[in-house]
Amino acid sequence: MSQIIISVGREFGSGGRVIAEELAKRFDLPIYDRHLITEIAEKTGMTASDVEKLDEAPKSRLTSRRVRGFSNSIEDNIAEMQFDFIRKKAESGESFVVVGRCSESKLRDFDCLCSLFIIGDSEAKIKRVMEVYEMSESEAKSFIDKKDKKRKRYHNYHVGLHWGDSRLYDLTVNSSRLGIKKTVDFLESYIKARQDAAANKK
Amino acid sequence: MLAAQIFAVIIFVTMFIMIVLDKIERHYVTLGCGILTLVVVFGICMRNGTAIWQTIAIRDFVKPEFWYQVTESESKGINWATIVFIAGMMVMVEGMAKAGFFRWLCMKIAFLVKCRTIPVFITFMIMAAVLSMFIDSITVIMFLAAVTIELAQLLKFNPIPMILAEIFCANLGGSATMCGDPPNIIVGTSLGFSFFDFLANTGLCAGICLIFTIIFFYLVFKKELTSNKGEAVDISKLPAPSTAITNKKDFIVSTVIFGLAVVLLVSHSATHLTVATIGTVIAVITLITAGKDAVSLLKKVDYKTLVFFVGLFMVVGGLEETGILEYIADFIGDISGGNAYIMAAIILWVSAVASAFVDNIPFAATMVPVIQSLAASTGVPINTLAWTLSIGTDIGGSATPIGASANVVGTSVAAKNGYPVSWKRYCSKLAPATIIVLIISTVYIFARYL
Repeated sequence: MSQIIISVGREFGSGGRVIAEELAKRFDLPIYDRHLITEIAEKTGMTASDVEKLDEAPKSRLTSRRVRGFSNSIEDNIAEMQFDFIRKKAESGESFVVVGRCSESKLRDFDCLCSLFIIGDSEAKIKRVMEVYEMSESEAKSFIDKKDKKRKRYHNYHVGLHWGDSRLYDLTVNSSRLGIKKTVDFLESYIKARQDAAANKK
Repeated sequence: MLAAQIFAVIIFVTMFIMIVLDKIERHYVTLGCGILTLVVVFGICMRNGTAIWQTIAIRDFVKPEFWYQVTESESKGINWATIVFIAGMMVMVEGMAKAGFFRWLCMKIAFLVKCRTIPVFITFMIMAAVLSMFIDSITVIMFLAAVTIELAQLLKFNPIPMILAEIFCANLGGSATMCGDPPNIIVGTSLGFSFFDFLANTGLCAGICLIFTIIFFYLVFKKELTSNKGEAVDISKLPAPSTAITNKKDFIVSTVIFGLAVVLLVSHSATHLTVATIGTVIAVITLITAGKDAVSLLKKVDYKTLVFFVGLFMVVGGLEETGILEYIADFIGDISGGNAYIMAAIILWVSAVASAFVDNIPFAATMVPVIQSLAASTGVPINTLAWTLSIGTDIGGSATPIGASANVVGTSVAAKNGYPVSWKRYCSKLAPATIIVLIISTVYIFARYL
């Protein structure tokens, strides 16, 4: 099978991570999401929960500075380590699924990249977060806003382009329309079509 | 004039805030603010074409004293001498790095002390200070931190204490000479000081402080560095220093050029060659000897920093021409009641605290005209204020992870290799060290000059 990299960006509560996991299963690919946190924790000697706090987090502008591409911000350095990790994996020819980490932009040079962005209706996302995190409606709403704001700042800082801008992705899909399973079916057929197109090119 | 003053201050404050916020690259910020100063402050508000020309100062290049200076002279507006010198040194450093000089030097010294942790710790601190006297501290720390991590992995010690000590000593070494740290180059070229003037004044202070610094860091880091004592270490696993040399001919040539740069700098008060001339000569020789690699060396020059300086000097020129900096000087003069001790203490500690949180280059560029005014109005010798300003801005930058470029580079190299350094970790050791050095410096300035 020729190399395939599936990048899944997602709004919080849209089920993007679950979709990514399901795609990884169907294509029998490794998935890099929490795995990246463990990897960085092992490398830095930090605990996984400490790394998680800094994962996909924007740096504090007041307590950090950048000089000739170097940054003192731990958030920045963790992000760079993750970008390096996925880039090396991609360069090694490995096929994988990666969730977030600006992967749609950081790996855009790879022809085998399928970049997806999963969104959801507000009500559906709130309902999902209420169920998964056992929160009230208002708590879920503010949790979603907080998480999305964080992801947006992280993405826009590292990429310089707008998070969720449809021009950055091959497909932007609203998971509330078909539900998780049928959305995965649809995306699977798209990815297979991409694989066929790549094979025909050869 | 009032409108010009208001706009000059607004542009300056906006520039500082934007540099801190880091949303737009800082060279765009200073250049944009510099152009605004020329157009709005000098053009629209003051309708003063002469001020624009004085600030751009492009005519400096055709003045003989820009290249060859028999008597001391002061510069206004864009300090081209600083920019040309920094550009020249950047070219030289790129040539040295390409030939493997810095890595070779670090490995050589580590092998000379048989890669034993504490001797490596002490010699690397001294090396950081000495190299930073002549080369920008970013380059020094970039290589030193990388080799430290390599050694730490073999010798099984935590590299963070050593990297933190190296950062501190690099900043301290930078304060010792005119070319060690950008604020010193600005102070030196603006006020007409020589390499030896710095060495005999800030250099002596830095030397005294270095002794206390080494003792302090030895005491606070000894336990962490010797935690794996007793484990046998096979230094044969380390790559030999000679493997760092990428090309023997380039290595010899770059070492000779570095030696020439040191000789020219040390002797420039006797030869009357300005730092602009030295920077140009060194860059030209480096490029000629690089042959076909000259283009790649030129491409590696950090043009963003040079543009940053151009914009910065224009903005500060706006404050200078509109008389804002005289107000600041008068304010310092008033609150010190004309007392030279209080004045020196204010300049030293305010410079240090400011430099711990904001870039010390714009701070120094702004303060140079302030101390000139202060010296003229209070009679305190400009030399005393200049050394105080240099020491304050150079040393203060060590206190926090964002205070100086070397801190950012050192902590970044550590983090990228799996050793993240938090603010707490950094400040718990380096802030006290900074305070100790500032106290020593205060005593030095009081005892020697007042």
